[in-house]
Amino acid sequence: MPVSLRYVVLRLLQIVPTFILIMVVMFVLVRLLPGDPTSALLGERATDEAVARINAQLGLDKPIPVQFVIFLENFFRGDLGDSIVNKTSVLGLVLNRLPVTLFLTALASLLSVAMAVPLAFVAALRHGSAADSIIRSAFQVGLSTPVFYLGILLLTLFAAHLRWFPVGGYGETLADKLYHLFLPALTLALSLSAVLMRNLRNSIVEVLQAEYVDFARAKGLKARIVLGKHVLRNAVIPTVTLLGLNIGTLLGGAVITETVFAVPGAGRLMIEAIFGRDYPVILGLTMALALLVSLVFLVTDLVQAALDPRVSA
Amino acid sequence: MKKLIGALFSIALALAVALPAAAATKGGKLVYARYADSLLLDPVFNDANVDIWILTNLYDTLFLPTDDGKDVQPGLATAYQASDDGMSYTITLRQGVKFADGTPMTADDVKWSLDRAANPKNGIWGFLLASVDSVAVSAPDTITIKLKQPDPVLIKALATFNAAILPMKAYEAAAGATDEEKAKTFAEHPIGTGPFKFVSWERNVTMKLVRNENYWRKDAAGQQLPYLDEIDFVTIPDDATRILKLQAGEVDGAEFIPYARVAELKADPNLDMQLWPSTKVNYLTLNVRPTFKDGSKNPMSDGRVRQAMNYAIDKDALIKIVTFDVAKPMTSFMSSSTPYVSGNGPAFPFDQAKAKALLADAGFADGLDVTCLALAGSADETAILSTVQQMWSQVGIRLKIEQVDNPTRTAKYRAGDFQMRVAGWTDDIADPNEIVSYFAYSPNIESLHSGWEDKKVNGLFEASMKEMDAGKRQAQYKEIQDIYMAAPPIIPLYESPYPVAFRKSVKGFVQIPLGNNIFVGASVEK
Repeated sequence: MPVSLRYVVLRLLQIVPTFILIMVVMFVLVRLLPGDPTSALLGERATDEAVARINAQLGLDKPIPVQFVIFLENFFRGDLGDSIVNKTSVLGLVLNRLPVTLFLTALASLLSVAMAVPLAFVAALRHGSAADSIIRSAFQVGLSTPVFYLGILLLTLFAAHLRWFPVGGYGETLADKLYHLFLPALTLALSLSAVLMRNLRNSIVEVLQAEYVDFARAKGLKARIVLGKHVLRNAVIPTVTLLGLNIGTLLGGAVITETVFAVPGAGRLMIEAIFGRDYPVILGLTMALALLVSLVFLVTDLVQAALDPRVSA
Repeated sequence: MKKLIGALFSIALALAVALPAAAATKGGKLVYARYADSLLLDPVFNDANVDIWILTNLYDTLFLPTDDGKDVQPGLATAYQASDDGMSYTITLRQGVKFADGTPMTADDVKWSLDRAANPKNGIWGFLLASVDSVAVSAPDTITIKLKQPDPVLIKALATFNAAILPMKAYEAAAGATDEEKAKTFAEHPIGTGPFKFVSWERNVTMKLVRNENYWRKDAAGQQLPYLDEIDFVTIPDDATRILKLQAGEVDGAEFIPYARVAELKADPNLDMQLWPSTKVNYLTLNVRPTFKDGSKNPMSDGRVRQAMNYAIDKDALIKIVTFDVAKPMTSFMSSSTPYVSGNGPAFPFDQAKAKALLADAGFADGLDVTCLALAGSADETAILSTVQQMWSQVGIRLKIEQVDNPTRTAKYRAGDFQMRVAGWTDDIADPNEIVSYFAYSPNIESLHSGWEDKKVNGLFEASMKEMDAGKRQAQYKEIQDIYMAAPPIIPLYESPYPVAFRKSVKGFVQIPLGNNIFVGASVEK
């Protein structure tokens, strides 16, 4: 297996400079945006006196480099500061909301794969036929329907009318959470699976024409083994990369899905933080996401290396 | 006169609170869907309606607002007496009150809470108690408040959310070096004397409250309040989802029903679509300075142009289009629920001819161009501005819409770097002093940052802050409104009620014009 420990450690170390760069750039960038958190928070009731006083209390009147130094001091003590809007610790918020998004993303990925893989095979094995066209068109619908509309549709039909699922929200026990997250995960999976399915189908079609497949068949190997061991293993490589990239995007937060289904995820937290100029939350969440996404890409590359002997790690 | 008021208050105590005497079912849970979660459950350090509007379920104030929001009734205080010069108030405290944790409320708790609320360094609401000089405990059941100047609104200020009474010992024991940090820690598990006790809070998901068994209040029939065993606040930000949940019966109540859905929910036999009178006003703020920030001449510095802009808008049509006829026209810049509101009939009735004439008078017969800042993604603001744009085009005013996000708009607005913007306001105290201080009193925020200044209005406002005679005070506010509405630095559009819907089984919910959601008299009937 061409994956070495050295490679993994090297890749992990590579995350560090990326992380630092993101931290510095985001810290400065958010403070350059027009507006400030205090006047955004106080809105119509903001007076110059109140804004100045509260900004001073938050340390926002200090020059940016000074603010950054203070931030670093706290960071190395494990303190990401307090959310200006929510008045509670940023670390607490991130630890509360990020796992929800992780859960939703994982579920959505599993569902996408479960829908995409078998149907990609069917479409590819019968490529050019009516079955192929039907499958591809069906998935196209999922891809082109706006997430907002899809979500409300599923919610109205399966939750409000058929009562098979709760109308949005997030459960309490693990099983309850899975139950609440099924519909939002399905909403995301409907478009993600379409992307995966197309890619995998085309990839399988290509692989089926390869010489080694003919050879395997000529050797008399069972179809199951030919398809499973030879075809799938090779065809899935580009799709794995695609899945990895999409997971990275999903982790950034499926804001619309989270809003429609009232799921307390990181996507909504990020959008609200940006709209409220909640600097500590924007920074804390960005750093956490940068870490996560880097890890996802690392895992994707490792899986790819494991599948593809031509890639050495 | 003041002694008489004090005596009347004692009588009011005997009559207990004004609640429906019809027997309400005791027990049950109410699940209420909100559009956004609370941020900080502290009366003094909060800065958002999402906190203010549910605080009255956890905390009490010395006086409580009446259901119509315009007056006060006894709360943690049973009576008050003002000195003849109006500079000192003696307040009798209710006996036997306990906090939700069982500890008794003492005069020390009251003094400490009021000192904290009146401190201008604490939060943004100190100005509501700006007249307070000192608070002293004169007896175990009496506190004396000394003022810097006579304050006609003190009792109403003591009925406002930031003057809530907290347990001093429990608060001071909370972790934190500064008062702000203690407030954050204490607010994670707040303790008050209110009808409900805080149990748990999973941010953005659910907040659970249960009945405060120690609550002091009884209904008119003598039954102890509150009726409900438990309230669950759930956060459902999407309007459509929130309504779906209500229709499916997964929640018992939902706030902020969009205007477009009100008629539909009214027709639903399972639901009770309630429209509560509110102090919420919607308007367009105009920059009235001679030039804009970039130096170009400002046509709206001429009062005739502003009047023309008002006359050129058919407010009734706008209300139909934007709010589906749920909102109402305004007679003044204040809502009809704000005390001392004046005006005869809707302000600036639609008159295109008059608008054109005024514009021509001001030298704009060929029309003019103006840009309005709108909140990106706000369906209401888009609806308002596209309607106004269409109406104004008939008189030659060419309106351009610039969509920006909230902090960007707020920054430009506070710097006076804007031409027009869409805006909304709700009162925080049942008195016109707050809205006037923001809208018309230029030393505060330059009259909504419009740059409008009227020395007479400034003088009237300052006088009104000390005027103890209700009649004279009302006359002062009438004059302020007359001058303002003749100018006017804004375009009042409409006032809108609070749209809340409940399952038919829920009774007794009240939302006062200030916005507070009051569940003390709510019950779930079979």
